[in-house]
Amino acid sequence: MISRSWRNLCRRYSQTVTFRTTESSPSQHNEKQIGLFYSVNHDLCKQLFAYGGLPKSFAKQTKTFTETAIMVRQPALDLIDCIKASDFNKPVIRYVMYGEKGSGKSLTLAHLLHYAYEEGYLIVHVPWVSEFLRRVPRHKEMSNSQTREGFVDLPLDVAAWLLHFKTQNQVLLKNTELKISRDYVWSKRESTVAGSPLSQLVEHGINRVKYACDVLDALVYEIKQLSNSKQCKTFVAIDGFNGFFCPLTRLHTPTKKKVKPEEVTLTGSFLELAKNDWSNGVVVVTADQLALPDDHQDSYLPRYLLYKKGFELLDPFVPIEVGRYTDKEFLSCASYYRDRLWLRGPPEIETELKFTSACNPYKFMEQCAPL
Amino acid sequence: MSIFIKYYKSGGLNVAFSNKIWRYNSTSADMAINKGEEEEEFRVLDILKKRQRQQRRVNRRADVQPDRADRMPTDQNWGNVWPGPKTFHPSSVPLPLRQGYVPKGQAPPGKKANAELMKIPNFLHLTPPVIKAQCEAIKQFCTEWPKLLNSEEAIENHYPVEIITSDYCHASPSIRNPLARIVTLRVKLSTLKLDQHARDKFIRLVGERYDPETDLVTITADRCPIRKQNQDYVNYLLTACYHESWNFEEWEREKMEEDMEYYNWDKNPSKRSLVNWYLKTQNQSKELSDEEYSNYDVSQIPNGEEYKVAVSSYMNDGESEGTVEKYGEAVRKLLGLPQKKVVS
Repeated sequence: MISRSWRNLCRRYSQTVTFRTTESSPSQHNEKQIGLFYSVNHDLCKQLFAYGGLPKSFAKQTKTFTETAIMVRQPALDLIDCIKASDFNKPVIRYVMYGEKGSGKSLTLAHLLHYAYEEGYLIVHVPWVSEFLRRVPRHKEMSNSQTREGFVDLPLDVAAWLLHFKTQNQVLLKNTELKISRDYVWSKRESTVAGSPLSQLVEHGINRVKYACDVLDALVYEIKQLSNSKQCKTFVAIDGFNGFFCPLTRLHTPTKKKVKPEEVTLTGSFLELAKNDWSNGVVVVTADQLALPDDHQDSYLPRYLLYKKGFELLDPFVPIEVGRYTDKEFLSCASYYRDRLWLRGPPEIETELKFTSACNPYKFMEQCAPL
Repeated sequence: MSIFIKYYKSGGLNVAFSNKIWRYNSTSADMAINKGEEEEEFRVLDILKKRQRQQRRVNRRADVQPDRADRMPTDQNWGNVWPGPKTFHPSSVPLPLRQGYVPKGQAPPGKKANAELMKIPNFLHLTPPVIKAQCEAIKQFCTEWPKLLNSEEAIENHYPVEIITSDYCHASPSIRNPLARIVTLRVKLSTLKLDQHARDKFIRLVGERYDPETDLVTITADRCPIRKQNQDYVNYLLTACYHESWNFEEWEREKMEEDMEYYNWDKNPSKRSLVNWYLKTQNQSKELSDEEYSNYDVSQIPNGEEYKVAVSSYMNDGESEGTVEKYGEAVRKLLGLPQKKVVS
């Protein structure tokens, strides 16, 4: 018993020294903390990532480690610097994160979301685009759009997303200053008048699933208006953005016709947000190989993944590469895993793991699992 | 009595006289004694005839002359020994050659009676001194090399068209080789007088015969039976392509942006979005026509030129980590963002 508590004490002591930073506010992170882990408050984590946002394997790991620890890495710091330096009166700047599979794009995005939350941005976060377009569970709710001819709605998905939006921004939405500028008439009896709070619009979308897609359109329009008029600043984060540009989705209409991404109403809404015709906001998207079909995963570079359409939409964007671990990051990560007892064995094993995983964060985590 | 005879046999000159005397005296007595000895001796029956076999004469060979190769003087004129191409002959070649299958632990077979050496063609008639001598002999028939063509560049400049043919030389009943008819014409594209349109069209016409890395157009003809015909044909092809590329057909106006062989930034949406972005930062909202977009002067946008170069190289040179990085730098300058910090 004594030896156990002694070991715990040792572990805690080592935590403070080598691989952890006590600085838990992303806006305060700087170069000195590169490669160090900071832990995210559990409640905040639940609020931000309850409906997705962390990769599945990482979410599982947080459960195992009983904490959500994110490594402070160069791309995130770089992006935060850029956001701090940018002029919010000018049109929004688009950032595209790219990198090999499993190099930590989504986690960098999570880090940035935390930053945005702390800075009081209105967060528009799409956890994974392919969740809408490429994942087809047995009962995918799909209907033809009432308002737009030839388009397809995904009402349930959109309603779920609105719920995600609501939870992420619950603090900001309480603010009744955020008012909508137009009257929206949904049906004979239902309408949302101009001047009612934004939260009402969102609520309507969640409660009346039938109109969720139209609500999303309205919401995007209103967010742009609000941002332009400086009533809020907006942080748009879309993971797997290139999923919007793949040639076909996995959806079928009842007539067995394959649906193209641009024929889904939500695609149009989110692409509208990625344009730079509004200001006072930040748009961060990731280009991921996994968001595309298998035959289009040869390169991880943005132009290839975004196709011509996506590139032209985003251009000029700031490409930000999320690379493999550097030596320092790798050592820090290894000692973190050792601390969490995720990695055991002699110290030479680290050299070997470094070689076999090629410093790829995801592979490293996977290879440590059975050790 | 026999003792006496022995004594006198071993005697000197003075004994010779007495010998003579004694011989005359004792002739009859000697005869009698010899007869008696022959009768006493047994004759041996030699069944196996051993003696005869021992006595058989050993056949001695006639004396062999040493090899010619061994007798050659070291300072001989090799060209005279081996004047022309011929099959290998061991006695003519004073070299310790070995060739053939090597049994384990032994040396390869020597040069004598070696079919392996005879099978392979040799160049013993083309040693450097021989070649030199032959060149010297031909020299009187040569004209002088033009003085102005003193470098590779000068030759390339004055004679841009290169004709490549092959001659074949072999020992068979026919001296003709069908491969000798093939003619290859090579010319640098930059030496042809072409404008931008003509150049593009020329490249499309010649297709894969143009190598962009070396800038060479290679046209090969083998369809006619004779070299002369092929050469004419190759020249015809080059001429035809050249003049055709200068023609402008009406349907060429229908060329779209997707058909472009290179990325023309001025006509692409990238420029449009840049101009739109710039106008928005200046708080102007203008609707421009396509013409105005493509003619918009980028140099008035700060860092616009650099951005143009970066996007063009991104698209034209292919996507790689380097071009993406350059593009990122240009965009950051354009948008006024801090540059990426280099991680130590």
